Amino acid sequence: MIYHIQNKIYHVEFLPPKQDSEKLEKDLEIFSNKYLRVMDSGYCACITDNAMGLLSFQGTEMIEELDLPVIPEQVMIHLNTFHTKDDLDNILDICKSKGIRHLLIITGDGSERLPKLQPSDVGATDVESVTSVELLKYINREYPDTFVLGVAFNPYEPEEHEFEKMERKMKAGATFIITQPLIERNEVVDRLLKKYPEIPVIVDAWMSRKLHLLSEAVGYEIPENTEFDPISTLKMLHKLYPEYGIYLSLLGFKTQYDLIKDIWV
Amino acid sequence: MKIVVCIKQVPATNDAKIDPETKRIVRKGIKAILNPFDTYAVEEGVQLRDKFGGEVIALSMGPPKAEESLREAVSVGVDRAILLSDRAFGGSDTWATSYALAKAIEKIGDVDLVICGKQAIDGDTAQVGPGIAAHLDWLQATYVMAVEEISSSSIRVKRMHEDGYDICEMSFPTVITVVKDINTPRVPSLKGRLASKKCEIPVWKPNDIGADTSKIGLDGSPTRVIKTQPPPPRHTSTKKIEGSSIECAQSLLRELRLRSIV
Repeated sequence: MIYHIQNKIYHVEFLPPKQDSEKLEKDLEIFSNKYLRVMDSGYCACITDNAMGLLSFQGTEMIEELDLPVIPEQVMIHLNTFHTKDDLDNILDICKSKGIRHLLIITGDGSERLPKLQPSDVGATDVESVTSVELLKYINREYPDTFVLGVAFNPYEPEEHEFEKMERKMKAGATFIITQPLIERNEVVDRLLKKYPEIPVIVDAWMSRKLHLLSEAVGYEIPENTEFDPISTLKMLHKLYPEYGIYLSLLGFKTQYDLIKDIWV
Repeated sequence: MKIVVCIKQVPATNDAKIDPETKRIVRKGIKAILNPFDTYAVEEGVQLRDKFGGEVIALSMGPPKAEESLREAVSVGVDRAILLSDRAFGGSDTWATSYALAKAIEKIGDVDLVICGKQAIDGDTAQVGPGIAAHLDWLQATYVMAVEEISSSSIRVKRMHEDGYDICEMSFPTVITVVKDINTPRVPSLKGRLASKKCEIPVWKPNDIGADTSKIGLDGSPTRVIKTQPPPPRHTSTKKIEGSSIECAQSLLRELRLRSIV
């Protein structure tokens, strides 16, 4: 992951089509175009896993079915705990065979339709439910030296609890960290950077003008009419966190993509 | 093994409205989904086919739009799907519906096992599965929570009820209705979803299945809906447990034991 930061590789997040899409072919085409554009730019395509508990197709099956090229340093798959054991192993096997090395391991958001991994599925005997920690341990054990595993850090959660969790994630084999979206300097993130100076950290930049959508993540109400300039904020985050990577959430491919190419040079 | 899974498309809401004139559910303008209980039936059919070989066929009766739910079943692994759709089927109650489905199952031929969800979330009757068994004169087990064993001639299932479970062994052909404890339905893969869009779904009409038209539709439906009303509210009470965390836990455990919950 250090390579990504040293070579100024943006992490560009995008979502696969939803399972209930009524215009699936069109959505597949859009996904494919975004993916290829990110590959051409030399950035890293970060593909979500049923984000917000909304049933979507898997990044791995998108790559496989659409026959998309995999450049190992340019693809990151999110992987959460809402899968059957068979699905989990299938996703990991496809990642391995396609040369996808970077995985962001998260506990994830469930929904009624999504199965949840059981402790016995991942050989965990000391827990009642599977979190990113157990998933990390499982992947490291079953696929040694195969993947580069990252984890999420949420500076808006109770601080000590979040740091405790991070310690467990590190012990379970995490080797990089991606934060929740930031829109300004964050003291909790600063503490994280000091605590783990050797670990590559990627700061999440919120790229939607709709700042109020962040309300749930930050834990307080952001008024709907709040003005927000994502590009200026991105530039500010580069200045505040010059030695760290940047993850772009909700990047507008039509309006913003061409604007970012000259920012991190 | 030839398995037929009977499925139904239902309104995607628990807040369904009843037409005061017809006493039937208003379906117009409401998104339709595959009956959630039927997803477990589909999954069980696919798992049994994967384990024992053979074929699994999804069967539904409804308007042309019900084809969507059949495609959903195909997307998670059923081999083929058949839709019973014709104006003559319209207005069928559970008896007439189960008659039509039974006739279709006869036409498919050599079926070993029929699987239904325990009930549909719109009517909540839980009558169609048993109705199919009655029309076919086959054995049946309702509320199946596990398939314990299958041989070439019989199936052994665990049947859930309020006080525990029964173990039932039945010879083929047979009908089972399943509860959600039986499995975890898979999520469609992209490959499955794309395949389901291309598959051809034959539409069978009453003549195709040799149905007696006096036994389907409104004419074939003995049910008369006289009146509908919401169920009476449940009488519940809340008991607040106070004290230290240990005292609270002990009190809670005692209350649960008194109610035979633990």
